[in-house]
Amino acid sequence: MSDDNDKRTRGQVYPFRPGRNGSGPPDELPRRLAAILAADIAGYSRLMGHDEEGTHARIRRQRRELIEPTIAEHHGRLVKYTGDGFLAMFDSPVEAVRCAIVIQQTMIGRNTSLPLEQRILYRIGVNLGDVIVDTDDIYGEGVNIAARLEGIARPGDLYISGGVYEQIKNKLVCGYQSLGDRQVKNITDPVTVYRVLPDPAALVAARRSNKFIGAIISVGLLILGGVGGYFFIVKYYAPQASPPLATAAKVKAPEPAVTPSAPQLPSKPTEATAQIEIPKVIPTPPTTTEKAKTPEPAVTPSAPQLPPKPTEAPVTVTPQQAPATVTPGAPPSKPTEAPAQTETPKVSPAPPTPVPTLLTPEMIPIPGNSFSMGSSDDVSERPIHRVAIKPFAISKFPVTVREWSQCVAAKACSYVATGKDEAPVTNISWDDAQEFVRWLSQVSQKTFRLPSEAEWEYAARGGTQTKYWWGDQPQPDMANCKGCGGAYDPSQPLKIGSFKANPFGLYDMGGSVDQWVQDCWHKDYQGAPSDGSAWLDKTCVSRVIRSGSWRNDQSYVRPASRQGYDAAVRYPTHGFRVAAPP
Amino acid sequence: MHNVLIALVTLVASLLPTAALSQGKPAPDDAYLYFVWPQDGTVIKGGFWCRFGLRNMGVTHAGDDFSNAGHHHLLIDVDEPLDPNDAIPQDKKHLHFGGGQTEARIELPPGKHTLQLVLGDAKHYPFKPPVVSKKITVNIK
Repeated sequence: MSDDNDKRTRGQVYPFRPGRNGSGPPDELPRRLAAILAADIAGYSRLMGHDEEGTHARIRRQRRELIEPTIAEHHGRLVKYTGDGFLAMFDSPVEAVRCAIVIQQTMIGRNTSLPLEQRILYRIGVNLGDVIVDTDDIYGEGVNIAARLEGIARPGDLYISGGVYEQIKNKLVCGYQSLGDRQVKNITDPVTVYRVLPDPAALVAARRSNKFIGAIISVGLLILGGVGGYFFIVKYYAPQASPPLATAAKVKAPEPAVTPSAPQLPSKPTEATAQIEIPKVIPTPPTTTEKAKTPEPAVTPSAPQLPPKPTEAPVTVTPQQAPATVTPGAPPSKPTEAPAQTETPKVSPAPPTPVPTLLTPEMIPIPGNSFSMGSSDDVSERPIHRVAIKPFAISKFPVTVREWSQCVAAKACSYVATGKDEAPVTNISWDDAQEFVRWLSQVSQKTFRLPSEAEWEYAARGGTQTKYWWGDQPQPDMANCKGCGGAYDPSQPLKIGSFKANPFGLYDMGGSVDQWVQDCWHKDYQGAPSDGSAWLDKTCVSRVIRSGSWRNDQSYVRPASRQGYDAAVRYPTHGFRVAAPP
Repeated sequence: MHNVLIALVTLVASLLPTAALSQGKPAPDDAYLYFVWPQDGTVIKGGFWCRFGLRNMGVTHAGDDFSNAGHHHLLIDVDEPLDPNDAIPQDKKHLHFGGGQTEARIELPPGKHTLQLVLGDAKHYPFKPPVVSKKITVNIK
């Protein structure tokens, strides 16, 4: 804040499509200062030569799951994909470098499980420069330098120019290894180059490794040939470069025994091999806007697409859902059964009936009104504010395993849930819940959705304004939570409706399972809408969960209690309930 | 031939143990989890960016079952011992970074607070042996 050098403004990046164009001749294209990130895949031809289709598929998946969301999360813009890489621009060098670090670190994780010949390593260069912004590309020396930096970077490494370094050195706690001035192709003046090590402790190591690596690599090459050499580079980046300290060096193998004492960065400023800049550790000062987003999202919100393991749920599909029945593909065929079934999910232990009916969650109409949302019990629940609620309906219980499994059987929900039929479904991500409401809306011909956070709290309060719906004091045997009295099983939630309903006739609004709502997570109610709608941002990684679970204590059962969680991530206590028009 | 090659590589580079994929994910012995910032005893004014350091393992999304990779959990003022056989809890004192985040903006009320990192596997279980950082204390002004 006090630092006016802070470039991490959240201002609008200049639109790439300068809009209203068609007019401006080329020489009037806007120029602007930007942090340019250029990346490409090391050994692309080799990868393609080895497995063309597989490589292509993996790269596409990385673009979708990693590259695009990570750039967006760091407020950058993807300018274009090049053959094997991409070009992005950012308002802020800090964000550009952060983005690059996230990509590189995530790739380490992804590579560990792959055979060597399939590992994909990016080389990334970041430069700060004046560029010309055209409709779908950017030009200028600033871009060329970024590309050259990328060209000289080692696979898995991130090189930045001196200009970027000056901007970020006090803001990002990384190790910066000066590589001196480099003459780069077709650029007149030499460029000062720094190598970014995400982990400052790796610095000392990296410095020493400089001498080592050359020797090691050549030895490696001799011994192992190309693959081995390549692997080394992989290896060296992966543990964040930490070769043996010469002293402790029995050098059992070229690979270092990382001395965990290493992290003290400024410890040995003696060597002079390359000047190392160790930044003062200053927590990057938040801009006011920045503060709004609490946990810096790092990676893709779209994460669990393919990996979400069919393996992890030992396919214990609930048996009695004669599947194949509720096909989402045929919405028009179904409408009959949906209305016919005046629901009651808890009833009907459904012996495998020949005519399987769609079990839709039982809905309770909630009248419109206004109420005071929030409380003073936790910073996240402030300020208390007035919210108007339009009439809506909400499910009487959290969605059950039985209800969920219909969606799985219809192949519209990817997560195969486990648990008793009448138990609330758990281990559901927000993305999973969206699959369910989409499917349910389609087969029932009604609009199901997640409730907004305001609707959820209003419904949970049941018309009261007290700390709990039953009063201001905790009471035993009122909710399925830890230390709350009554029946309890630490390993799973009790079946739905095991405790009293609130004044609106809703069960398990507090305790049982955490329940996703539609809203993006905001750390408090500053700027919250007052019309009962979901509070959304353009993109959000975290969404709100309500209710607390059976594993939380009674303070989480309060109707005002709220938490945020990554929308793409599953956790064993998370479930949801649905809302619909009245 | 290929095996020989791999063996050589392993020998020369002392490969991290490539673990079989199963429950209770094994972690390499030299996995090292720590705070890049803040450090033990740091006095901080207001909110801060907490940065997580991990060596000899990779960071990935929750749900991703790659070996030798996990995601961060930040424990704030947690006194209860970690249960190695249960999922890392999720509440206001156990923050999850299942998106693969390696840093987070943290805001705490003034006073002393403890921070500790725990690496979780695809299903939020601690590794075996648990990969945890030293518990540090920060002082918020």
